[in-house]
Amino acid sequence: MGRKNYRSQAVPVSGAMDALSAALANKAVGNNDGDAVIEFTQAGAEFFTDSDVLIALSGDGACLNCGNKRLPPDRPVFVPAQTRLSLENNKEGSRAYLAVAGGWDVPQVLGSRSTYITAQIGGLDGRRLAENDKLSHGVNLSPLSQSIVNSLKGDAVNFPNWAIARSLFLSANRKIIRVIPGKEFNWFDADSATHFFSKAFAVGNNSNRMGYHLKGPLMSRTMEGELLSTSVTPGTIQVTNDGSLILLMADCQTTGGYPRIAQVAEVDLPLSAQLKPGDEIYFTELSWKDAERLYLEQQKDLQMLSRAIELRYGF
Amino acid sequence: MIQIYPISESAVTIEFGNAINEALMLRIAGFNQLLKQKPFPGLYDAVPAYTTLTVFFDPLVVIRATALPGKSCYEKVSGYLQQLQGVNNPAPVAQNDIIVIPVYYGGELGPDLEYVADYHQLSVDEVIHIHTSAICKVYMIGFIPGFAYMGGLDDRLETPRKATPRSAVPAGAVGIAGKQTGIYPLQTPGGWQIIGQTPVKLFDASRQIPSLLKAGDRIRFEAVTLSAFQNHKQ
Repeated sequence: MGRKNYRSQAVPVSGAMDALSAALANKAVGNNDGDAVIEFTQAGAEFFTDSDVLIALSGDGACLNCGNKRLPPDRPVFVPAQTRLSLENNKEGSRAYLAVAGGWDVPQVLGSRSTYITAQIGGLDGRRLAENDKLSHGVNLSPLSQSIVNSLKGDAVNFPNWAIARSLFLSANRKIIRVIPGKEFNWFDADSATHFFSKAFAVGNNSNRMGYHLKGPLMSRTMEGELLSTSVTPGTIQVTNDGSLILLMADCQTTGGYPRIAQVAEVDLPLSAQLKPGDEIYFTELSWKDAERLYLEQQKDLQMLSRAIELRYGF
Repeated sequence: MIQIYPISESAVTIEFGNAINEALMLRIAGFNQLLKQKPFPGLYDAVPAYTTLTVFFDPLVVIRATALPGKSCYEKVSGYLQQLQGVNNPAPVAQNDIIVIPVYYGGELGPDLEYVADYHQLSVDEVIHIHTSAICKVYMIGFIPGFAYMGGLDDRLETPRKATPRSAVPAGAVGIAGKQTGIYPLQTPGGWQIIGQTPVKLFDASRQIPSLLKAGDRIRFEAVTLSAFQNHKQ
């Protein structure tokens, strides 16, 4: 997911902020992980289905309702034509992902369907979704998606008795974000290093898909001078000239000139993506070796999850 | 002395030096070219910057690549980069032709041209003459899609940024900020002194290679008339 081959031309990766929830929503309906999903950020929405669809919602940011009935997340939900659904903002988290069997049908731009608003590319005309937009799904359902549809199809909204245990993919304490010390970590004094790993940092109000401002103790430099602009990537924590932190997220620039004090472990980026302004987090240290091992283990678990869903439907 | 270090689970940076200079830029461009000819399995992209080249890859492909020795993705990728660096004293990168960027200077398209001229006690024509005489080198692409960090601005045009940035600078705007000159590829807020505008699209997602410029390119600005600007734009 995301636009991975154009960073050398300064095109950000974009894609889902919480790539885990996006992947789980896709898996629940039998899609490929890279199929387009809709990301909702602290938002509500209403939908009307013109045709039968198989959908799934994942992420902490919203709940899905049909009339007074709450539709469960992290599992496939069959929705017959002419049904009204509402998505309700959930204060538990920040983002939610809506997948549809066949994937949302938007064109690939530079190898990805991800929306990048600054360059007006990807998604639906390179912009945010708006009232009265019509979206369709890809017509070629995977054999797995088709089997799930067949098992649930009827006149009413329907879902199976299984669900993906999303919490098993996330650490129990969601306030703790694991990070690896960055290349310029030793540009800061001992007090700063201590504070970085012991004090709370709060997500600022002016946070968006490019990055979060983190409010907490300021970092003091021991090393003067400027960093020559070099690559940064989602999860990079930069220190601005006043000593405050910026956590870069999915739509971040490809290069930056602020010292990089740390990098959020890939497996904890989904936790970061669910943070809301005002939420407090703590950083704890991880080695590169462990970060890579945890990432590869998670990917393996996700592959096993796909296999388990396939087996359930006789594949 | 080169340094190799990870910046994420899926990216490794190779640092070739610690100062902005043309020799280093050409060396990085040369290494990037070599890497493109001999990519490792799972490589997505390589991003040149002033002193670094960062490779981005798919860890799931790299970890399974038996051709790459090592126990972790980092070992595999850094080992590969090291040996690629070792076997090779990168031949100087083949120089492309100079890319000519047509610019209409001044007027509504270059609202700060007169300010820049006054600031340096030059005439507007002298500013245009100086700006179009230099060959500028592209050191890296960053900031926003297709934006080129260029060196080669004549010292006589060095001008501080605007005290208050504009909320919207149009795509194609040609500006000066300190020792740098550059072109806005997209409409964004910006604080550069805008002296003109080019009708050329610096970034176009419908092109196979969307960014017109890349690290290592050389460019020259050329003054054009308003009608030439408008014709080109259509």
